[in-house]
Amino acid sequence: MDDAITVENLSKTYNGTVKAVEHVSFSVRAGEAFGFLGPNGAGKTTTVSMLTAGLAPTAGHAVVDGVDVFRHPDLIKKRIGLVFQESTADSDLTGRENLELAAALFAVPRRDTRAKIDSLLERMQIGEAADRLARTYSGGMRRRLELAVGIIHSPRVLFLDEPTLGLDPQGRAGFWRYVQELRKDHGMTVFLTTHYLDEADSICDRIAIIDHGHIVATGSPSELKDRLGGDVVTVRPVRDDPALEGLLRAVPGVLSVASQDGAYRLKAPRGEELVPGLVEACTRAGIGLYSVSVKRPSLDEVFLELTGHEYREDEGMTPTDRAVRIGQFQQAVGRARR
Amino acid sequence: MMRELVALTRRELLRIARNPQAIITSLLLPILYLVLFGQAFNLNSIGQGKVSPAAFLYIYRGAPNYFSYFAAGMTGFIAVTATLFVGANVIFDRLFGVLKRTAASPATATSIFGSRLIAGSIQPIGLAFLVLGLAILLGRLGLAGLSVTASVTVVGAAEVVLAVVILSMMFASLFIAIGFSLEQPQTYFAVVNAINLPVLLTSAALFPWGTMPAWFQNVASFNPITLAVNVVRENLFAGAAAYYPYDPEVYLLGLVGWALAMFVIATLLARRALAPRR
Repeated sequence: MDDAITVENLSKTYNGTVKAVEHVSFSVRAGEAFGFLGPNGAGKTTTVSMLTAGLAPTAGHAVVDGVDVFRHPDLIKKRIGLVFQESTADSDLTGRENLELAAALFAVPRRDTRAKIDSLLERMQIGEAADRLARTYSGGMRRRLELAVGIIHSPRVLFLDEPTLGLDPQGRAGFWRYVQELRKDHGMTVFLTTHYLDEADSICDRIAIIDHGHIVATGSPSELKDRLGGDVVTVRPVRDDPALEGLLRAVPGVLSVASQDGAYRLKAPRGEELVPGLVEACTRAGIGLYSVSVKRPSLDEVFLELTGHEYREDEGMTPTDRAVRIGQFQQAVGRARR
Repeated sequence: MMRELVALTRRELLRIARNPQAIITSLLLPILYLVLFGQAFNLNSIGQGKVSPAAFLYIYRGAPNYFSYFAAGMTGFIAVTATLFVGANVIFDRLFGVLKRTAASPATATSIFGSRLIAGSIQPIGLAFLVLGLAILLGRLGLAGLSVTASVTVVGAAEVVLAVVILSMMFASLFIAIGFSLEQPQTYFAVVNAINLPVLLTSAALFPWGTMPAWFQNVASFNPITLAVNVVRENLFAGAAAYYPYDPEVYLLGLVGWALAMFVIATLLARRALAPRR
């Protein structure tokens, strides 16, 4: 399969000192949904800005849809679709007028313009609000309008820079449903950045994890999770005991043990089968346990494993809030699929 | 390129049309000047009996009275005040992401700048002629009004229209250039205020020419507002040509020079602002 995007040694340094992106290399196959994943400030938007000719690189080379991005920035703008993380639709124009303007700027053939706009409005479910000013749209409608504007010229490569930021779980699920439909119908290559790990997990064929401007891993979500070597069992003792780590390592089936914040993270091929042995070993050694939990590996775990620190998805959000939000998202995805 | 220019200009005009408050506000300022300042600031009554009619004609460069001189000068005043918002819109479009979206499209910087220039010039042009019409009407109502004492020829009328159009486009270019160069609305308005007041005050838009000291006249001669109002006054007032060293065409040429300079600067700044960031 041909590559739709090839990036070699891409770097961006701001003001000669702030290294936002350093020697980033990757490729995206045609028709693939490729996720660029990382916390705020990791270098995601900087990379997208460079690949869409909005920002000049400090060094490196990038080819998108067969066009050298840095040699032909004007040509690349014609070829790609781009949805920004912030709203860029004109609030003083109606949804239809926004699309008419985009169609003119992207030189969509006049004879096709009307039909194309009608079809996009319908598909994005904003047909009834097409002649209302965009400022009256809800957050979800505005995002869908942004997506429609981004694909008005049927690009072969679509860049989505944190497109669901600020949307509620239903809005996010709906947005991704449209993107998946577009991929299915038009074979569009989608390059997306997000800091929602759950989104990347369910949507992307492959993922690159970026942290502090460096790509730390690339692969499909399952490949990345397989790298962890199985399930993650977290043992939280009532009191830390210097003998506990050795004790846990000795339990049959445990691949590795790492301690963090008073808890022990164990890797094991089948985590749930490990629990009785763990509990028994600790009880025998007189070590009280506060909790034992088993988790299928998630991208959060992958991120923690690869970078050595927790994913800073939403600073200030409690684990409970986050669990609730992920649950809401998964339910919304389920509803959207039904 | 023509299609994108038309589409972007349409967008600008729709935004103006959908903001009636801004239209009313821009109408209000020149009308208040005409109705309040113009009526109250009656220089003729001050010199009554002491200044000869010939001296008044010299002071007002052929205009029959101060109000007529002032009303013709209002066309220059409007070109400055009604184009201010054009540059501010560039800044607001940047803040609200619209400029980012346009810059990410294949639209050329020339079209993006050109559309703003065209749309931004239409309002002051319309406003200038509305104010001239109102000034004539005030005279008919028995108040101080604009007396057009010359028989205006087709060429003369065309020159007046051209002067207003070119001056409006020149100031629209200037303010768009400033809009593309600055990021914060507060800074924009501070810079623009620091420009428009000295430009207005060193022109012959409002001050009687004959009362200016010679050095001031020299400065004012090169001011683009003076060049434009010279064209208007030479064509509206009979015998005014005697008070101007050059024909209106010469002033128009000077005005074109100013406008071209501003156009080039604004286009370059728009290109720089819309190019990939460094």
